[in-house]
Amino acid sequence: MKWYIGLGLGTLILATAVAAVLAVQEPARMERFDAAFHARQIENGASLFENNCRTCHGPQGRGIPGVAPGLNAADLFNGSRLQAIGYAGTVEDYVRGTIAAGRPVPSEGTSYPQRMPTWSREYGGPLRPDQIESLVQFVMNWEQTALAEAGPTPSIPEDEAVGTDITVELPAGDAENGQTLAEGSLGCTACHVLSSTGPAWAAADGMPAVAERAAQRIEQDNYTGGATSAHEYLVESIIMPNAFVVEGFDPSVMPGDYGRRLTPQDLADILVYMETFR
Amino acid sequence: MDFIRGIFEPHIPILDDIKEKGVRQTIEDTANDSVRRVTAGLDIPALRGMLRGDEAGRPNPRLTPHADGFWLHMRPGFYNNLVTGLYPSFRLGWLSTFFLTFEIITGVYLMFWYTPSPLVAYQNMVDILSTVPFGRLMRDMHRLGAEVMVAVVALHMLRTLVTGSYKKPRQFTWATGALLLWVTLVLSFSGYLLPWDQLSLWAVTIGASMAEAFPPEVVGQTLNLLVRGGPDIGANGLLRFYLLHVIGLPLAALVLFGVHYYKVVIHGHSLAPEDESIGEDTAKKVPLDKREYFLPTIATRELFYVAGLTLLLIVTSAWFYHAPLEPHADPQVTPLHTTAPWYFLWLQGMLKLGDKVIWGVIVPGAITTISVVFPYFELGPNRRYAARRIGLSGAAVSVFVLAILSFMGTPWYAVQSSADQEVLAELLPQTHPGPLLTSEWDEFEAGTYEAANWQQAPTPALRNVLHLFEESLQQHGETLPNAEGIMVVENWQSGLRKVTLRVLWDSIETGEQTESSQSTYFHRDSAHEVTTRFGG
Repeated sequence: MKWYIGLGLGTLILATAVAAVLAVQEPARMERFDAAFHARQIENGASLFENNCRTCHGPQGRGIPGVAPGLNAADLFNGSRLQAIGYAGTVEDYVRGTIAAGRPVPSEGTSYPQRMPTWSREYGGPLRPDQIESLVQFVMNWEQTALAEAGPTPSIPEDEAVGTDITVELPAGDAENGQTLAEGSLGCTACHVLSSTGPAWAAADGMPAVAERAAQRIEQDNYTGGATSAHEYLVESIIMPNAFVVEGFDPSVMPGDYGRRLTPQDLADILVYMETFR
Repeated sequence: MDFIRGIFEPHIPILDDIKEKGVRQTIEDTANDSVRRVTAGLDIPALRGMLRGDEAGRPNPRLTPHADGFWLHMRPGFYNNLVTGLYPSFRLGWLSTFFLTFEIITGVYLMFWYTPSPLVAYQNMVDILSTVPFGRLMRDMHRLGAEVMVAVVALHMLRTLVTGSYKKPRQFTWATGALLLWVTLVLSFSGYLLPWDQLSLWAVTIGASMAEAFPPEVVGQTLNLLVRGGPDIGANGLLRFYLLHVIGLPLAALVLFGVHYYKVVIHGHSLAPEDESIGEDTAKKVPLDKREYFLPTIATRELFYVAGLTLLLIVTSAWFYHAPLEPHADPQVTPLHTTAPWYFLWLQGMLKLGDKVIWGVIVPGAITTISVVFPYFELGPNRRYAARRIGLSGAAVSVFVLAILSFMGTPWYAVQSSADQEVLAELLPQTHPGPLLTSEWDEFEAGTYEAANWQQAPTPALRNVLHLFEESLQQHGETLPNAEGIMVVENWQSGLRKVTLRVLWDSIETGEQTESSQSTYFHRDSAHEVTTRFGG
C-alpha cells in the first residue's frame, strides 16, 4: 500500500508540473491560435469574396470602372480615400462598416450608378457577422502588396513641405482657402467637430476660441512644448502634435505627418482661418 | 456584581484545559479533535497508523467514518478481496463514475465562457481557444472525457452481461445501469451541438431527423419540433440542447447513478461466476479472512487512480488530442459525408437499410427497451460461462452486428454521391481539413499539374497530393472513364494561395467530356491539423 501512496503523490506532483509547463506555454499557444484563426478567416473571406464581391469589385479586387472601385488599391490603404470623405477611423473600420452596412451614397467625385449593398444580417443583409469579419480580414490582407505596388504615399516633394520647425516664416494666408482645406481634403473636421456648434476651434461651452485657448495653454505649468506665442502654439499643434497633448486626450491620435503633407501656404491659410474665430 | 466580573474575566474553556493538562497536551487534544470531526471518527494516531500499514484494532475503528460520515456512508466498509483485482470488474464502473465527475468539473469550467446563442456561441469557442487560460486544454479534456466515458460505460455494460452479474437479485441494478448508458449517449450527443460549428449542426440534424420518423405523423412532427425548437435547428434548438446538456441529463445521470450504486452496495459487488456455487449469491456475506477494508487500501488505490488518470488525460489533451472546431454552422451548406457521432453510427447504418419507421424508430426502440428489461426475463440461475453458451454467443453476435451496422453508418457504405464528387472530397473533404490543407504550404508552388504525372511535380507535398488524386481517379475508373485530374495552384494574395482541382472524364451516357471542379484557399499560417476524429 505504501508504494501506492508514493506513486500517487509522485503522479500528483507530475500532473502539477505538466500544468505549470502548459501555463507557461499558454500565451504562445494563444498567439499561435490567433494567427491560425486569422489565416482561416482570410481563407473563408477569399471564398466569400469570389461568391459575393467579385462581380462588382472585379477579379483580385482590382475594381471595375463604372461599377465599383478597386479594393486592392493603394488609395484605400494609404488613407487618401478615407480623407476624401473625411472618415476619421482606421481603414479596417472603414472596410468593415462599408461591407456590413453598405454605402447609400457614393463618395464625392466618383460615379458609380450602383450603391454598395448592405451585407451584414445586422442590417438586413445576407451574411453573418463572422462572415463579414472574414471578408474584412481578406480585404485587409491586400494592404501590403497594394501599398508596395503603388510606392510610398504620394506626398509633396520634401523641399516644398513646411517641415517641423514651429518658428517657420509663413506667407500671407487666405482664410477661405484655409476653411476649404480644413473641411475638405485635409479632413480636420472629421475629428475636430462639435456636432451642434460647428468646428471644434470655435468658442463653445464656456471655452474660448482656439487662438485664445492657445495663449492660455502656453502659460500652463504642465505645458511641454516649445511655443512662445499663441501663433507658434497653433503651428506646433498641427505639425508636431505630440509636443504637448492636452489633458484628457491620447498622444498620436492626431496624425504626425502634417509637416510633410502641408506646404507653407497651406499652413498659413489654415492658421489665418483658425484665427478668424474669436 | 457577578455580571460585571463576568465581563472582565471571560470564561475561555481552552484556558481551563491548559491549566488542567498543560499546553502540549491541550494542543494535541484539540488537533486530534478537529481531525476526528473532519474524518468522522479517526484521529491523528489512527490516520498515521493507517498510512504506516498497521493492523486495524478490533472492533475495526476504521469503519466509524462509514457509519458516521456522509461521503463514506455511501461506500462499503470492506470489499471481498475476490473483486478487488482487475478481474472481474476491470474497474469499469468506477471509471464511469470518475469520468462523470471529470466531465462535470471540466464542463463547469467551460460554462463560464459559453452563451447558448447562435449569435455568439461560435465566437465563444474561438475565445475559449484564443484568450481563456487553459481554455483549449479544458475543451479537449471535456471532449476526450466524453468520448472515453461512452466507451467505458458501454464496456461496463458488456462486462456485466458477460459475467452474468445482471441476474437475480441484480436485475434492477442492471436496469438503472442500462438507462445510465442511454443517458450517457444522449449527454455526449447533446454536447455536440454546443460549439455551433458545421460538425455540430449536421451531426445533430441527422440525429434529430430520426424523431421525425416516429409514427403517427402528428407525433413525429411534434417530437421533431420539440427537439429542434423549430423546423430547423436554430436559437431555440441550441438552447434546448444546452439546457439538456448542462442541467436535465446530468441531473438524471446523478439520480440514476445514486440508485444504481446504492443497489450495487446493497447486493454487494458481484463475484466472478466461478467463485460461488451455482444459483447462490454470496457477495453480500464477506468472510472475515476475505475482507479488504476500504480504509486504507481501497481509498488509497482510488486516489492513486484519480491522480494517474488526471495526469494521463492532461498529457493526452495537451499534446495528442485536440477537439476539432470546424467553420461556423451554416444551415445552407450541407457538407458531403456528414455522419453521426461514432456511438450512433450503428443507428445511421440501420437507417440505410430502408424504412425510417422500422429502422429508425421501432428497432432502436425495441433495442432500448430490451436492453433495460431483459434480466427480468432471462431467468437461468447458472452464471458459469460453460452453461451460458447460447447467451454468450448471442452477446458476441450482438457486438458483431453493432460493429457491422456502425461500419454501414460510415460514408464507405452505400453513399449516393457521384464519383467525381467523391474524388474531390477525398482531397478536399467537407467535414475535416483533409490531405491538401494539411500539406506544407511552402511546397505548394504555383503552377498547373496533372495527376497522372504526379512524379514530375517539383515538391514532395505536391507529389503526395497529386498521387492521392491519381489513385482516387483510378479507383473510380469504372464510373469515370478516361479520367484526367488537374490541379492548379495560384498565388492569390500575400500568404494565400488558391488551389483548384479539376476532374475531366468521358460521360458514360453521352460519351462527351465532362468536367467537375472545386477550389479552396490555402493560407500559410492556417495550421489545419490532422485532427483526431472519433466521429461526426
